[in-house]
Amino acid sequence: MAGLSPSERRLQKELMSLMKEPPPGVEVDFDLAEQNLLHWIINMEGAAGTLYEGERFQLQFKFSNKYPFDSPEVTFVGNNIPVHPHIYSNGHICLSILTDDWSPALSVQSVCLSIVSMLSSCKEKQRPPDNAFYVKTCNKNPKKTKWWYHDDSV
Amino acid sequence: MGNCLKRSTTDDISLLRGSDSVRESSSEQLGPPNYQEPLPIQAASPVYHPSPSVTRSVAQLTEEEQVKIAKRIGLIQHLPTGLYDGCKKARECVICMVEFLVGDALRYLPCMHTYHMSCIDDWLMRSLTCPSCMEPVDAALLTSYETN
Ligand SMILES: [Zn+2]
Ligand SMILES: [Zn+2]
Repeated sequence: MAGLSPSERRLQKELMSLMKEPPPGVEVDFDLAEQNLLHWIINMEGAAGTLYEGERFQLQFKFSNKYPFDSPEVTFVGNNIPVHPHIYSNGHICLSILTDDWSPALSVQSVCLSIVSMLSSCKEKQRPPDNAFYVKTCNKNPKKTKWWYHDDSV
Repeated sequence: MGNCLKRSTTDDISLLRGSDSVRESSSEQLGPPNYQEPLPIQAASPVYHPSPSVTRSVAQLTEEEQVKIAKRIGLIQHLPTGLYDGCKKARECVICMVEFLVGDALRYLPCMHTYHMSCIDDWLMRSLTCPSCMEPVDAALLTSYETN
């Protein structure tokens, strides 16, 4: 692993552990990640017994060379964006661990598990109420969005 | 997770960019959005993070931020450090995901979580919380300051 930056070394380790023990319903595109450790595509399956059962989604992770101090940029991509009250139709996800509550102890695996659980707990498939406005006006990078989380005291 | 509304207040990033951010948001619908890199920062000068997502060089810091960062450096330097002696309780640094090797420089947080000094100091300059348990480290430190 010579010649890798500290962020690439950590990503290499995460990739290895996801290859050895993939969480249920989560599958990394290893060839793509190995070509460029800073850009991953993850295939995700809607869990059985949830509103998303049988659906397949694609998540894109982009890492900066400050990872894991900087959170990854995580969006849904492809032609099936889950219909969910915290997921915009452009693939942006409103999830506090992706911005304000990020910690370097979190990982690709823990982000995937949070997203799986966010999908699994959904009671009604619908877009966020401000979807149309947000999608028209937001920055391409969801990390530039200043999200309001309900526990936000600012 | 929350109600997914955007904060409408101006953020530090758009203040820094000045008129650029206005152009950025109004041209968003046309063609591929122009993804902007953070402001170029001279490689030689150190950068600071007044909050986790904001990166600035010394020259870009406000006086208030400079005081905040100076205090923070002082606090961090008061956290105990040591060299890894092979103790089995702490084995891996969750930041770099590398196992501790005998002789590695470590830093111990008040919550007893342990990290490589170089790894945790980089994080503490952004956020004074333990990455593993989210326990704020400054509260405990301030009390020890006062009793000394
Ligand atoms: Zn480390
Ligand atoms: Zn801790």
